[in-house]
Amino acid sequence: MTLPIRRRRPSGGPSNGSLLTRADWTRPRIKWGVGTAHLLLLAALVVFGLGPLLWLAKSAITPTVDTISHPISLFPHGTAWGNLRAAWSDVHVGRYFWNTVALALGCWLSQIVVATTGGYVLSVLRPKYARIVTGLLLTTLFVPAVVLLVPLYIEIVHPPLIHHSFIDSYWAIWLPAGASAFNVVLVKRFFDNLPREIFEAARIDGAGPFRLFVLVVLPMSKPILGVVSVFAVLASWKDFLWPLLVLTNPDRQPLSVRLPAIQSQTQLGIFLAAMFIACLVPIVGFLIFQRSFLRGTGLGGAIKG
Amino acid sequence: MASIEFQDVSKVFPDGTRAVDSLELTIDEGEFMVFVGPSGCGKTTALRMVAGLEDISEGTILIGGRIVNDDSPKERDVAMVFQNYALYPHMTVAGNLAFGLKLRKLSKPAVQQRVQKVAATLGIEQYLDRKPRALSGGQRQRVAMGRAIVREPRAYLMDEPLSNLDAQLRVQVRAEIQKLQRTLGVTTIYVTHDQTEAMTMGDRIAVMRNGALQQVDTPERVYQWPANRFVAGFIGSPAMNMFTGRLTRANGGLVVNFGGNSLALDDELVAERPALLAHVGADVVLGIRPEDFEDAAFTPEVQPGRSVTTVCSLREALGSEVLVHFPVVEASFVARVHPKTAAREGEQLRLVVNTKQLHFFEPESGLAI
Repeated sequence: MTLPIRRRRPSGGPSNGSLLTRADWTRPRIKWGVGTAHLLLLAALVVFGLGPLLWLAKSAITPTVDTISHPISLFPHGTAWGNLRAAWSDVHVGRYFWNTVALALGCWLSQIVVATTGGYVLSVLRPKYARIVTGLLLTTLFVPAVVLLVPLYIEIVHPPLIHHSFIDSYWAIWLPAGASAFNVVLVKRFFDNLPREIFEAARIDGAGPFRLFVLVVLPMSKPILGVVSVFAVLASWKDFLWPLLVLTNPDRQPLSVRLPAIQSQTQLGIFLAAMFIACLVPIVGFLIFQRSFLRGTGLGGAIKG
Repeated sequence: MASIEFQDVSKVFPDGTRAVDSLELTIDEGEFMVFVGPSGCGKTTALRMVAGLEDISEGTILIGGRIVNDDSPKERDVAMVFQNYALYPHMTVAGNLAFGLKLRKLSKPAVQQRVQKVAATLGIEQYLDRKPRALSGGQRQRVAMGRAIVREPRAYLMDEPLSNLDAQLRVQVRAEIQKLQRTLGVTTIYVTHDQTEAMTMGDRIAVMRNGALQQVDTPERVYQWPANRFVAGFIGSPAMNMFTGRLTRANGGLVVNFGGNSLALDDELVAERPALLAHVGADVVLGIRPEDFEDAAFTPEVQPGRSVTTVCSLREALGSEVLVHFPVVEASFVARVHPKTAAREGEQLRLVVNTKQLHFFEPESGLAI
């Protein structure tokens, strides 16, 4: 006796979260119409999103003369790998690059520490004054950053208690970076959604506030740590105005400040190579860490949903 | 292992809600106590106060004879099993089990030994390296139980641990928990709204309503001797049938008249409840459990005043028994009768009542007579 073979039929419901079902895609009008629209959209995204980056990458290794004479040709006439070397050593992009890295790491650390501890206190420990502090934090979000520039500068020049100017010190960048109400609110909102039962289980298991934070809350918060990290590093990497104001010594300035300064004295090819180096780290960083902040909260199995 | 005492314990929330009201209760060493009651009756709040997760507004809680009102959850040395498992999602099963032990600074070999032992007891050895997300509901529940057992605490607190499992698994895990508790002999408070769990698991059950304790006793006694109308209606499924009737004296005995029916009380019953005599000529609430009815066709001899004749309004065949619904004035009664009953919807039916098992309550206070 042969058993009837069960064929998989196209399901009637949405197949992969899209509005169109598999059955819809079998209709020629949808197949060709929507398919073409998808293709055009993707092409536009590539041209406008990826295009400038690819052009920069091409121009970084193209002789200056070629870039000037054929700026939008797809392929260079000859390569000039020397641009990258010259940018790194002759124009001291290497030094500015490491300055930028140091600034970004410091900003990242101060923001992570402040955002997670602040969010933890306001969301998990919840002292009586937590609501007032949260309200005050939210109000600071309504103050434009430019308005704070002068008071912040005065604070950095004459910091309270320390009485030692932070001008030309990286602390002048790192410390104000930590004071980000947006990050604290963001992390607080994430912590608010973590299941309380897990914290209670940890408390009964014997975890105090510090261990609860380090051993339970932080490992459960990788996605939001990824988001804050990306925001922190990108904001620091591209910040121009504040480093320009507080770092007066060119040897300590980051790429964002030095690139405009060296533009007039540098060949176009070398300058574009320097810009390419400046862009490289955020892009590579994004590609490496995208999984950690694009995936879900990772609470699988912790609680019955 | 330790006793747990509630001494006049109350919990008042900031909005003024009195979740637990003057709770007086002693749970003996090694006892399995079940807190049961409808949602919002304060059973979970009472449990959380023992755990140290909720402040005690009034009164005192003692664990092992020591006042623990101001102790942290850690200092109380109790373990809790949560309704939603509450496993640490970033740790493996072994990590979940070992977490509490590591925090108590146990040596690595000791931790490993205890984790292995508990995993073997619960049959989760093969899952030790898995994360909670790779486990089924039943396995997760076992890990949650394991996390409580591995610490060897003075008491287990279980907050509806079976409510997220499917019916079949619930019966299985229920038996496992009972067996485990008997083996380990650790004082346990088990919170549930499911009266079947309460009846089958507890050494004693504490029935709660609106924050107040209604009755504490063994499951059998709570079922046979409910303290008031609420307990009588809450414990037992289908619920006890209740109707207001009048107690009178007839032919030298007591008779209860209700909804056009009349039932003679057994002398035995009156002897057990002498307070009934004080209610002769007055209204009382009569309670009859569904199983105290039987189809007259299956009763060899029906004595006068021991039956009611009615019309079947709904018939529910459950295989091993049949539930027959019938009207009594505006109320609807349920009788649990023989599976081969000929009762059909809309047809007349004669039901015999076990008049030795009638329950009586005062109409105003609802207290049992």
